[in-house]
Amino acid sequence: MSRILVAEDDPHILRLISMWLTRHGHEVLEARNGLIARELLQADPVDVLVSDINMPGLDGLALLEAVLPQGRVRRGAVVLTNRWDHGDIRERLAEKGVHVLPKPFSPTRLLEVIDSLTAAAAAGPPA
Amino acid sequence: MATEPVGGRAQGVGSGLRLHLWDGVLPEALGLCFVAIIFGGFTTAYFTTVYFWRQQGAALRSSDAETLTRALATTLGVVAEADEQGAETEREARASVSENLLAGFTQTAPVHSVRWSTPEGTVRFAWPSDVNASLSLSATPPRTAGPATGGDGTAVATAPVRTPTGKPAGTLRIETNASGYPEWPAYLLWTWGIAAAVTLLVFTVVYHRLRRHLRPMAAIERNLQSYAGGIEKELTALTLSDSLGSVARSWNLLLEHLGELQRQQHAAAQTGPARDVLARFESTVFRRLVDRLPFGVLCVRGDHHISYANASAAALLRRPPEQLVGVSVNDAVGDPAIAQALVGVQTRGGVGSAIDQTWQDGDQEATLRFRVLPISDQPRGGEALVTVEDIGQLREDQRARDNFLYHVTHELRTPLTSIHAYVETLTKPGFDDEQTRKECYNVIISETRRLSALVENILSISQLEVGTARLDVGDVDLVRLIRQMVQDNLGAADEKHIDLTLKLPPKAPKIRGDKQRLAVLLTNLLGNAIKYTAEQGKVQVTVAVGEQCVQMAVSDTGVGIAPEDQAHVFEKFYRAADERVQMVTGTGLGLAIAREVARLHGGEIRLQSELGKGSTFTVELPLPTADPQEVSTR
Repeated sequence: MSRILVAEDDPHILRLISMWLTRHGHEVLEARNGLIARELLQADPVDVLVSDINMPGLDGLALLEAVLPQGRVRRGAVVLTNRWDHGDIRERLAEKGVHVLPKPFSPTRLLEVIDSLTAAAAAGPPA
Repeated sequence: MATEPVGGRAQGVGSGLRLHLWDGVLPEALGLCFVAIIFGGFTTAYFTTVYFWRQQGAALRSSDAETLTRALATTLGVVAEADEQGAETEREARASVSENLLAGFTQTAPVHSVRWSTPEGTVRFAWPSDVNASLSLSATPPRTAGPATGGDGTAVATAPVRTPTGKPAGTLRIETNASGYPEWPAYLLWTWGIAAAVTLLVFTVVYHRLRRHLRPMAAIERNLQSYAGGIEKELTALTLSDSLGSVARSWNLLLEHLGELQRQQHAAAQTGPARDVLARFESTVFRRLVDRLPFGVLCVRGDHHISYANASAAALLRRPPEQLVGVSVNDAVGDPAIAQALVGVQTRGGVGSAIDQTWQDGDQEATLRFRVLPISDQPRGGEALVTVEDIGQLREDQRARDNFLYHVTHELRTPLTSIHAYVETLTKPGFDDEQTRKECYNVIISETRRLSALVENILSISQLEVGTARLDVGDVDLVRLIRQMVQDNLGAADEKHIDLTLKLPPKAPKIRGDKQRLAVLLTNLLGNAIKYTAEQGKVQVTVAVGEQCVQMAVSDTGVGIAPEDQAHVFEKFYRAADERVQMVTGTGLGLAIAREVARLHGGEIRLQSELGKGSTFTVELPLPTADPQEVSTR
């Protein structure tokens, strides 16, 4: 079981991801925007961060810039975006080991990515 | 006449005309006529005078001879009586008188001979001296005397000689030459001389003045004939020397004007096909049309100088049209690439590739796009058109389109993402419990509605903006419509415990408009007021009826709108950067649609807001007039 923070401003998407991860045995923290997510991460690090990019207050990219260098995300991060330049974003974030899933996304695919991150963590040292 | 040229201003080359003295043939001929007339007159007058002088002199002398003969006969009668009586003294006195008379006579008249014969036939006196004469007189011979001819020129006067007592003493006979040349009086000679000199002087002055005026006229006539006959085509070769006076200077001025007109005509003729274009440009209507084109048009001659610039070109190049015409296109644009493109089009034809020129205009980047097009089908060396477009505006429009697409796709993807994910969830075995399935269906339905509303809004704003939206115009009970809209939004207000109140006038007239679109307008305003007002806040809808319009105001105690955002809130997809705004789901289309609906109904929408205190959106719609057509039915 991994501790996962989901940062998403759309309540339906947030609810859906939370439901999927919970039912697959993960502990889920919910944040409606980037600011709340940063506060939660600074209070307590997580294994995986799942974040939208376009969020009020603090967007997903800024959130990653703020928390990844501090080691507040132990296993890895997944970014969900409906931006049409997600290809560029993918290239930029690949160096940091961040996965990018364009919206609309498959929850099954998201779960596979999270599982791969947590499985890699189980096999080796934390990211 | 001399043949030296006198046309000092002759500037022409080759066969340029010169003014010669023979150009004054007319004045010379007139001068000769004057001379002939004057000298002929003088000669005629002279000989006529001499003739009459001589005639009068001859008559005078014949008369004088008779008078003198009678007087001399009387005297000789006295002499004869005295001679008979031996009165020596009397005889000598009378002889002396006779001598004097004769002497005087012979000095004024050409006397040939004097003969005094007695009744017996003896000659008592004869002159020239007769050896047989008994009386000898010593008289001074006349200077012009000559031998008597007895012809037509001889006058003979006779008179009887009687003594004082009446006794015949013979006959006196005197022959004179009546045609003899008399003495020409000196005063007459002087008179004739002075008159001739004065006449010649006057003639000379008149002749010179006449010649001065007539010579340029003759030269002009000759030049005109040369020009009309095609002998000389260069106007500059037809100029006259300024020394020929004011006529010549006026002629030269006329030639300069003609030359200028010729040059203009020549220049216009040389432009070839552009001549026709320019002729059309000269047409006021066509000029206005070209000036109203949204892109610049430059007409460029073969030498790359601009011959025409429309108003848009002047505005884009930031120069008045008169400062563009005549300037080389390189100087006007400042980009040698244009000249290179012109050369390419003029030599090879076709359409030149686009040339973009970008510079920093204040805070913005401005870009002009130039394109070279041939005017005629014969591009070589001919004229060309250069079009100028502000593609900065095009890029701005493109940017706005891209931005619109970005927002549209973003807004579409959000409900699509939910629908996609929840549908996939329904297909998974772990989510097949009743509660989860119900939750999934609800989300799918609501997100489908959201998607449908979003598509509707996008279509609405597109139609409203491009003017293709149609209003279904009818009588609208605005108060009733507002009541219904408030009722529909009571649920959302109650969720946030917002106090939604309605303040209506006791009676409000109906307006002309599209009920459905007015409902959208009210829904958007009410929805925004509720969304951006915190819990426990207040939203109030007020309707006021004026003389010509109905005002409905939607006020809230929400987050308010910052001054820098107030100017943009009616732009589509614009959302304030305020975090409290960003926290609320919205497309940024509601106010844009509301403004367009108000405009379509001939009304307007205003905003009054203070950050942190709330906002009031006031919609003003016109009341119906007698003519229902005044409401737009687009």
